[in-house]
Amino acid sequence: MKNKSSWPSRLWDVITSLKLTIVCLALLMVLVIACTLAQVNLGTLGAVNLYIRSFFVWWDVPGTGWAIAVFPGGALVGLVLGVNLLAAQFRRLELSWKKSGLWIVHAGLILLFVGEFVSSAMQVDAQLAIEQGQTLNYVESPRELELAVTDVTDPAYDDVYGIPESMLEHSDEVKLPNKPITLRVKGYFPNAELSKRAPGDPPSMATAGVGTGVTVRELPAVTSDDQMNRGAAFVEPVAGGRSYGTWLVSNTLGAPQSFTHEGRTYTLALRARREYLPYAVTLKQFRHDVYPGTDIPKNFSSLVHIENPSRGEARDVLIYMNQPLRYLGKTFYQASFGKGDTLSVLQVVQNPGWLLPYISCVLVTTGLLIHFAISLLRSLKRRRAALEAT
Amino acid sequence: MTLARMKGFLPLLAFLLAVGAALFTLFPPGLSHGFDIDGFGHLPVLEGGRVKPIDSVARNSLLMIRSKQTVRYQGRTLSADEWLLDVMFRPQVADAEPSFYIDDPDVLGLLGLRQTSERYFPFSALAPHLAEIQEQAQLAQPIDARQRTRFQSAIVNLFDRAYLYYRLRNTLQSGGSRGLSAEIADRASAGAAEREDMLAQLALFRPLPPLKLGSDSWRSVGEALRSGDSGPVDPVLEGLAAIGAAYADEDAPRFNQAVGSLRDRLIGARPQAVRAARNEMFFNRAEPFYLGMVIYTLALLALFVSWLWLPQVLQPVSFALLVAGAVVHTAGLVARVLLQGRPPVTNLYSSAIFVGWVAVLIGIVLERLYRRGFGTAVAAASGFASLIVAHHLTGDGDTMEMMRAVLDSNFWLATHVVSITVGYSGTFLAGAFAIGYTFRRHLGRNVDPVASKALVSMTYGVICFALFFSFVGTVLGGIWADQSWGRFWGWDPKENGALLIVLWNAIILHARWGGYARERGIMAMAIFGNIITSLSWFGVNMLGIGLHSYGFMDKAFWALAVFIGSQLVLMGLCLAPAQFWRPHVEARERLAKPA
Repeated sequence: MKNKSSWPSRLWDVITSLKLTIVCLALLMVLVIACTLAQVNLGTLGAVNLYIRSFFVWWDVPGTGWAIAVFPGGALVGLVLGVNLLAAQFRRLELSWKKSGLWIVHAGLILLFVGEFVSSAMQVDAQLAIEQGQTLNYVESPRELELAVTDVTDPAYDDVYGIPESMLEHSDEVKLPNKPITLRVKGYFPNAELSKRAPGDPPSMATAGVGTGVTVRELPAVTSDDQMNRGAAFVEPVAGGRSYGTWLVSNTLGAPQSFTHEGRTYTLALRARREYLPYAVTLKQFRHDVYPGTDIPKNFSSLVHIENPSRGEARDVLIYMNQPLRYLGKTFYQASFGKGDTLSVLQVVQNPGWLLPYISCVLVTTGLLIHFAISLLRSLKRRRAALEAT
Repeated sequence: MTLARMKGFLPLLAFLLAVGAALFTLFPPGLSHGFDIDGFGHLPVLEGGRVKPIDSVARNSLLMIRSKQTVRYQGRTLSADEWLLDVMFRPQVADAEPSFYIDDPDVLGLLGLRQTSERYFPFSALAPHLAEIQEQAQLAQPIDARQRTRFQSAIVNLFDRAYLYYRLRNTLQSGGSRGLSAEIADRASAGAAEREDMLAQLALFRPLPPLKLGSDSWRSVGEALRSGDSGPVDPVLEGLAAIGAAYADEDAPRFNQAVGSLRDRLIGARPQAVRAARNEMFFNRAEPFYLGMVIYTLALLALFVSWLWLPQVLQPVSFALLVAGAVVHTAGLVARVLLQGRPPVTNLYSSAIFVGWVAVLIGIVLERLYRRGFGTAVAAASGFASLIVAHHLTGDGDTMEMMRAVLDSNFWLATHVVSITVGYSGTFLAGAFAIGYTFRRHLGRNVDPVASKALVSMTYGVICFALFFSFVGTVLGGIWADQSWGRFWGWDPKENGALLIVLWNAIILHARWGGYARERGIMAMAIFGNIITSLSWFGVNMLGIGLHSYGFMDKAFWALAVFIGSQLVLMGLCLAPAQFWRPHVEARERLAKPA
């Protein structure tokens, strides 16, 4: 009779079992298929957040407001697979030349998982939309908004406070640091449609600025990757116990609106969240070449000038398809264009883990080559032996 | 002759015959009714962003309009070049030739035609209904291609083809004019400017080389007429006019002379373009992939016969034919690479050709290793199937189109795209072996377990091969994406498709190592690999989303559904007990076995 093993050793069996590997791989396949199909309706980001970058796939029970976890999410499966891989490695695979290929392969795979976790947690995407001749020292987030309160009193220098979207959503009051101003958030809409106020519309919440003549209708947040939310908020600046009226701000409104407190003028604008750079980028020329006699694009390229006084750098760089600029932890890619080929849009990505997949690729490739070469040699040897035996 | 001598001699003969037939197609054809049609087809023009022979324009256009490269008319087969000459210079004749393939009953109804066995209709049948076709097509066009009804797709398609025909007709001379010579003579007259603008706008291809050396802006007839308003006429324009006039007058000697002198002039002006056009013309005429398909079919037939009759002779013959097919296939592939100056896989069409090629090569290697005929069978069947698939993917016209900006990178095309495609090929080949195994189990008379074992180990080896290339290709794709879009992995449908192949192959290998799946299980899983690969290859393009959906297609949907259905049935058969449909077999086997 077999001895009943203790539960830690049974757990250890499960964690290191090959069956668990197969189950995880199969679950991953199901998730990948679901994620692919869901992209038709949810957009890539929505589908990835639902199925891959989550520990559980949640299902909203209709009519109750509850959500039930119905399936393990990609992050959980990835984690279990990673643990399984490490544990099995320690338990089963002996350190021998025969197994060296498999060791390298699995090390590479673990690195690949780590890389995906790092980039899903730490990657920051931004955009640099720049016109020919323009110089910018900031990049903008393609999805997040901020309320910028700018002290424009000094014509030579703007003093900017960016209040992120999440703060507008969750706080009722935001106090500006080092300034006598507090903003009361009276309403916030992640996505809304603005229209000219019609006679029958309810009165606007705004008491100052263009907002008094505008009706705001809330919309569901966009899901498609190429659309952007049109946010709107009602804010009331208060300073020295005095209210400066309630203003409507939105990234669809053109000119910033301003008020003056104690001789200093402040502008209010809801805009794409900016990150200021310690250097300036100038677009010298954008080119969009096509094949002769067609409109098939042949190449897009942006000739930019980088000026970084702190490092004493001033140089030209050509950014084109498959040839990004990597500079101080950020990578600038040619992404899009517009305005009759005078505007260039660069994708700006910051990902501290960008090198991991490269290393992993080299490891897994080498490992598989070694392993299959060893297996092939062994099987050829066996065949030869079998032939000689007959 | 003894059997032994036949065994040595017949395979060589079969090989030489097949390769010889392929070489034979390279010889230039003679005159057709006295006309040097071939010489005309050689003339270089600019279309779709690259210089190509007129012959390529003619073939691709006819393929789009008629789904074939020739026209049967009045008991004669017209080549694509003859058809194009008719369209351009004898429009009244061309209008009577059955150039349009129409099979949608509703579209036929719209044209006042009844559905019969006749599928090809002349432009003259469409002409009275053009306004109606255009109106219906414009109603359907704003609807997303995936949401159109069958009629809407068919009418948009017919309109596009009619418009292509109309453009061809208005490329060298206005469709209703008295010819290019008349246009040249009238180029300063009232209303000429409008006609020239229209010609420049409608022109499908540009036959006049750039005026400046080093420039690549070839000119259309309209542009050349416009710039020649006052000064001397461009000699190439005059050459084209002479060809047109001679062809319209059916004057063969004058036509041949005009073609000859225009060619000499172009050789002087643009020797490289003429050379490139000539090479592509050779390629067009040889149709290596069509020939390869025929030779693979012969190899398969020889193999089938060998299972019943003269196996010692016919099996080597079928292997020789397979190698001959591979030689022709390889030659075609190399020719494409040289013509295009690109790695072998640049679009769906070329990926199909490449998938087949890799499968055939692996099959040949395995056949040399195991010598059981399985390698030949599976390689010939895969080669044939992939070339058929490729053939059905040519409907979009030019198969050597220019690469869009982000794809314009020979390095990544050569590494990522080729590895991924080799991975597809390996997964399909493993599936093909598994299908062969399934058929053998059910149809073979005395299944030899040693042979079965050989099949399983071949399949296993091919899966390892496929896993390696799919994985490397997928990761290289991630690195390319990191270089061009700024992220290594974006869960884009095509990336997910590639990942699925990697995961599935990994599952098969781990299931085998863990002993969870034995012979039959592994084989059934290998067949499922066919489904995963076909979805990754074509299925994701049908979703019409993502950064990789360059090759959107809707026609293939049903073909894919049928393929997947057939694979599921085969999986069922693979898992079912051997010859379960023949109940007495088991009893007989039991009797045959010694107790």
